Amino acid sequence: MEHSIIRVENLSVCYHSEKRRTRAVNKVSFNLDRGSSLGIIGESGSGKTSIALAMMGLLKKVATVDGQVYYEDKELNSLAEKERNLYRWGKIAIVFQNSLDVLNPVLTVHEQILECLLRHTVLTGPAADEKVVQLLELVGLKAGWNMHYPHQLSGGMRQRVLLAMALSCDPEILIVDEPTTALDAMAKDEIVRLLVKLHREKKFALLVISHEMQIISRLASRVMVMYGGHIVEEGLTKDVLKNPLHTYTRGLIQSSPAINPYRDLWGIPGEAEQNNPEGCPFYDRCNQKILECQAKLPLLEYISLERRVACNRGGITTLLTGRELHKSFVFKGKTIKACDNCDLTIRSGEVVVLIGESGSGKTTLASILAGVSTPDEGEVLFEGEKIKGNSATSRKNGLQIVFQDPFTATNEHLSIAQVVKEPLDILKLGTKDEKLNNVRQALQDVQLPSDDEFINKKCHCLSGGQRQRVALARSLVMEPKLLIADEISSMLDPSTQANVLRLLKGLQNTRGFAMLFITHDLALARKIADRVYVMYNGKIIEHGSAVEVFDSPKESYTNKLVDNLL
Amino acid sequence: MKYVKHIMIGIKRLTVLGKIGLGVVLMVLFLAVFSDWLALHPYSIPSGDALEAPGAGHWLGTDDLGIDIWAQICFGARISILVGFGTALLAGIGGSIIGIFSGYSGGLTDKLVMRLTDLVIVLPDLPMMIVLGAFFGPSVRNIIIVLALFSWTIPTRIVRSKVLSVKQEKYVEAAMSYGAGFWHLTLRHFLPNILPLVMVSVIRLTSRAIVAEASLAFLGLGDPISKSWGLILNHAINFKGIYFTDYWKWWVVSPITAIMLLVTAIAFISRDMERIINTKA
Amino acid sequence: MNKSSSILKKASEYLLTFLVILTLNFFIPRLMPGDPFIFLSSSEGQVTITYSEEQIAKYKAYYGLDKPMIVQYTSYLANLLQGNIGYSIYYNNSVLSVIGKRVIWTVSIVLAAIFISCLIGTVLGSLSAWYRNGTFDKVLYSFIIAISEIPAFLIGIMFLFILAAKLGWFPLSGGIKTFANYSNSVEKITDILHHAFLPVLTLSIVRLGEFYLLSRNSMIAVLTKDYMRTARAKGLHNKRIIFRHALKNALLPIVTRVFLSLGAVFSGAILVENVFNYPGVGRLMREAVMVRDYVLIQGIFLFVAVTVLTMNLLADIIYRRLDPRVN
Repeated sequence: MEHSIIRVENLSVCYHSEKRRTRAVNKVSFNLDRGSSLGIIGESGSGKTSIALAMMGLLKKVATVDGQVYYEDKELNSLAEKERNLYRWGKIAIVFQNSLDVLNPVLTVHEQILECLLRHTVLTGPAADEKVVQLLELVGLKAGWNMHYPHQLSGGMRQRVLLAMALSCDPEILIVDEPTTALDAMAKDEIVRLLVKLHREKKFALLVISHEMQIISRLASRVMVMYGGHIVEEGLTKDVLKNPLHTYTRGLIQSSPAINPYRDLWGIPGEAEQNNPEGCPFYDRCNQKILECQAKLPLLEYISLERRVACNRGGITTLLTGRELHKSFVFKGKTIKACDNCDLTIRSGEVVVLIGESGSGKTTLASILAGVSTPDEGEVLFEGEKIKGNSATSRKNGLQIVFQDPFTATNEHLSIAQVVKEPLDILKLGTKDEKLNNVRQALQDVQLPSDDEFINKKCHCLSGGQRQRVALARSLVMEPKLLIADEISSMLDPSTQANVLRLLKGLQNTRGFAMLFITHDLALARKIADRVYVMYNGKIIEHGSAVEVFDSPKESYTNKLVDNLL
Repeated sequence: MKYVKHIMIGIKRLTVLGKIGLGVVLMVLFLAVFSDWLALHPYSIPSGDALEAPGAGHWLGTDDLGIDIWAQICFGARISILVGFGTALLAGIGGSIIGIFSGYSGGLTDKLVMRLTDLVIVLPDLPMMIVLGAFFGPSVRNIIIVLALFSWTIPTRIVRSKVLSVKQEKYVEAAMSYGAGFWHLTLRHFLPNILPLVMVSVIRLTSRAIVAEASLAFLGLGDPISKSWGLILNHAINFKGIYFTDYWKWWVVSPITAIMLLVTAIAFISRDMERIINTKA
Repeated sequence: MNKSSSILKKASEYLLTFLVILTLNFFIPRLMPGDPFIFLSSSEGQVTITYSEEQIAKYKAYYGLDKPMIVQYTSYLANLLQGNIGYSIYYNNSVLSVIGKRVIWTVSIVLAAIFISCLIGTVLGSLSAWYRNGTFDKVLYSFIIAISEIPAFLIGIMFLFILAAKLGWFPLSGGIKTFANYSNSVEKITDILHHAFLPVLTLSIVRLGEFYLLSRNSMIAVLTKDYMRTARAKGLHNKRIIFRHALKNALLPIVTRVFLSLGAVFSGAILVENVFNYPGVGRLMREAVMVRDYVLIQGIFLFVAVTVLTMNLLADIIYRRLDPRVN
């Protein structure tokens, strides 16, 4: 703590317009150590630029700023403009988001850099001129650009000039706001490399603001995730990327094509609009919200040594845990270990793929997890409660399983309505009309017709894909938090398989339920998996995030699977 | 009937000043149309003693020849209204058509039109009007034509740049991909966009033309047979001793008041119109 | 290289414009309806000039109306190239020297009015922008808008009646006392300034609104630009932020407008000179019309047109110098 160069405490920014006040930043606190780096990530409008402007004291006219910004031990917000000017640029410099107007169009590059030197350093005359040239060379620009005007430079060159300008007075802290917007891929990469190099050489503390995860991950060792003016998660960038603990962070990472090279992209459903100022800012879009979240604003709290999360539920919750599960069958006198000391967790809202060849025991594991069969040893916990028999499946918001074979999973003599309605009938949930409405809704969700004629058809009239969707609808009427899908697409033709899978993933994304997807098809797994478990001969031999497992498998078996794919 | 309703809605959106302005303009229009009944005396031949002060017979007094000033003001309104609206309509409609055409066709036509507007804008208007007036005779008709020749560039430029920007819109691109021609595009897509702009510029042109005519007449370079407000002023100022007697109190003040009232009234309306258009956009 | 060639292109454009004006000037007397020289003014109380047979013959010979059009045109252009813009029959002198005697009066009041209106307008406009939407801004804005709607000659007449005739603070007419014997040059200059005061004041007020509105808009636009935030972030002194960063950008359109407004100011000057009987080119022009001295009218028009065109070209060049974004 004592070597922090800047300390921000309870910083709030509130913009006023004639019609309403907008809270852009809400009680944000953080430290920046000498020479360290910190990233702030968030969507546009999350308040990240407002933090930068508030730190520089540039918001005074348009907004009210509360809270303190300490430089070493000096509180900056209480300083008069004149004193504050001595900290600006000399101590804290900023590289603004690149635009044509960010540099003065009628002054040369030289003059705009020079004026910083004249104001904040002892350099004058030729020495200062020389320094300008050095600075340009430092950021990779030839001295010849010195006398040019901003409009004569390309976007990448302007970004370099901005950087040279910011570094002109050797600041202790450099704030970089969206350093790569409006740049093409090559220029982007060059600027990031340059920043990395300069940070290493110059040892300033670096605060990077960006909406792109891969920029942050290359520039900052720590990251703060902002949503609606709140910091929702903070931690080491590496850890946060690998194991996000806030549902928003996870959504953000899943939306990044650079981080998810294989999987289809799925954004966070809903719009970033906060309706309840008292409650959690992410309430409307969260997939594990509970009643409490609507009224209670979660605080940013440590949940491990280096990680803080602002969530009333302590971050992404664990839905299902299987501990040391054993199951063996005796077949013709031989004992077959179908499950050998299997551990498995599924957290809310994630897609876990259990991959393995046929006979590896994955279906056995699935039936244990669902409570269909009991393990010889070990236990399965669903939301912290031990599963006994159908305790998790026989209720709403519980666990549902969809089976491999659509033809045996639905009774062909029953009508579609009867099949879908069956769990509601058994559990006596709702009146007749309510049940019918639920059925229709579920059928619409799985993109089947919901008119009277269709729902009164018998199941045997339907094709395999349609039967599978009816089975899916039957699970959905129970509004499960976890859906176990056991090879549901293996018996369908390729086109139907694609349709069913997209449908399922789409439902998962909008409804936010977790899914355990069991398959032997690695190519399929890559399309949808957040995390992967690899099962071989009854054992779970490897698990991890999808990128880890597919990009750098540890086990030779997994390696072989991945290789065979190509 | 639809248009009446539109106009009523438009009037409701005016501010108090705008409504007053509209009232004044309507009043002047009334004067101009019914001047034969409103003016109790002839406007060109003496009807009383010279330089009578305002009173029961001559509401605004008489000039040095004994001509009734109220009658002169009434008939002067005719000239102002005629020149103002005549020029504005001529230049407004003509300029808009040129603007649409220029913006729509682009290329060489557009370049030529723009060079022409540059030329007209560069020319100093009053000296040019004096020259043309001197050579072609300063009749009201000529004044309107010359004023229009100098005013069309304003709507042309506004309309052209609007047409150019509308042409960039995707809905025009879409319409063109269905094979829409000049007339369809103009009537369906350009006109709704440019009409408000043209209206504002027509109002401004009206005021400009009224001031220009008054200025010319004041210089004695206007139509010498039409008794316009500027000409009354010209006579008054050229009357020897106007500065040292009380005659200016009615002879000079009346035409000045008339001109200022009309010009400020139009200015109020045009400011309001601009505001309405800007808030709509 | 690039810069000078684009100026050259601009200059040739102006040359073309100038040629069009010359041609226009050539054709106007030749397109007159009927016979211009027997045109009579029928107005009462007007100066009426009737040309004698001899004068008409003189005019016809002067314009060379008996020769083919192309010959007339080329000799007209040749004359112009030699600086000969005609001979005034009424003043019995060359047009150039008739104008030359009057031009100094007009140029002085025009320049003074542009300088004053630009200076005051820009200062007030910048202040308005700085305190925008405050009481100061709102009051000033409405006031100046109201003033700028009043026609120039009306303002002049009002000043004439109130400040000159009633209060007697200023002379009623002329540019200098007639038949005055000055004991020293200071007295003479004071007298000239005394006479010029009302015309300049009138012209300045007429132009004030334009510069005020322009600088207010321009300043407001500049104040919200990103580079102003950059300048503040750099911790620069306020003085440098305002003068180097804001004003240099905001002044660009104002500087060019100074030159571009010359045509309009000259039109205003014609009116104001006639209100105050000021002995400049504007009054000369009216006199020329009154006595139907066609050659002089054309000469004055040509003179004004050339001056205005030159100023426009100058505005273009200066803008290029000041704004690096224009190549």
